[in-house]
Amino acid sequence: MLGVATASAITTTTRPHGSSRPNLVQVGTIVWLSSELMFFAALFAMYFTIRSVSLGQGTHWPEAHLEVPFATFNTTVLVLSSVTCQLGVWAVERGQVKKLRFWYVVSFLMGAFFVGGQLYEYGNLAREGHVLSHTPYDSVFFLTTGFHGLHVTGGLIAFLFILGRTYAAKRLTYEQQTSAIVVSYYWHFVDVVWIGLFATIYIIK
Amino acid sequence: MKIQGWMFLLCGVFFAAADVVYWFWSKEPTGTTAMAISVGLALMIGYYLLFTARRIGDQPEDNKEAEISDGAGEIGFYSPHSWWPLFVCLSAALTFFGFAVGMWLFFVGVFCTLMSMIGFVFQYYRGNFSH
Repeated sequence: MLGVATASAITTTTRPHGSSRPNLVQVGTIVWLSSELMFFAALFAMYFTIRSVSLGQGTHWPEAHLEVPFATFNTTVLVLSSVTCQLGVWAVERGQVKKLRFWYVVSFLMGAFFVGGQLYEYGNLAREGHVLSHTPYDSVFFLTTGFHGLHVTGGLIAFLFILGRTYAAKRLTYEQQTSAIVVSYYWHFVDVVWIGLFATIYIIK
Repeated sequence: MKIQGWMFLLCGVFFAAADVVYWFWSKEPTGTTAMAISVGLALMIGYYLLFTARRIGDQPEDNKEAEISDGAGEIGFYSPHSWWPLFVCLSAALTFFGFAVGMWLFFVGVFCTLMSMIGFVFQYYRGNFSH
């Protein structure tokens, strides 16, 4: 041991620990996503509470006319974007930055298509008079799908950040691999939540 | 990491059992849904920890004979200091303040949030510490 104080330079380029240690960013992301799951649990609980109260009062449920084929197509696009996102992760694990960029751009475009489809559906509902404060059904519909849409939008911004990071650094770093992987975790999570919401709102009703 | 993984899986099993009892006792969908998703909360972390444990092998905490020093070494990269989280939080606060004051302030807040997030994400990609 040297008898002097030493300080290591700030570096984010090297693998911070051997592969025998868990990646704390990834573990932390999973723990955070589990708390996100409880956020959506509150939204599901709200949906079912208001549904049972409305049915008890003899109100028709659902009150709005939902375009199920359109929503099914939109859902398919979002589910497939999870596949393209995972192809990007497999590329980044092999260090192929160009393939990562390609698959993340594809996933971004598919996610953006989904958000666009949601906004189109909102526009149609608004023209029929369905807005957030119209009926209890409209409130729960817009709150559940709206919060999910905000999450997808956040994922789109995260894709852009990952793409920006791969262009901002001279070479692909361990940090960039980690952030690309945790963004994919988030994206898969948002996708799975949508499958639950879609099944609840459009199929079970 | 195996023990931690199993602890979360057991929590999931407990929530699932409690959920079934709750459903047959109350026939009430709200709590049943919330508790069913709690099962997901526990299983997700438990599965991920076990999955990671299988991939990275035994950790010092899995070995009864391990010394404290076996766990020494670098844990990861932690920012030594950064002003960016402060700016991100102030911008987020400004955004939500906009709901009370007026939509113009909301959009100013969204812009500030995006700019501070860009600063946060790219803080080690420019200037002295860029790589």
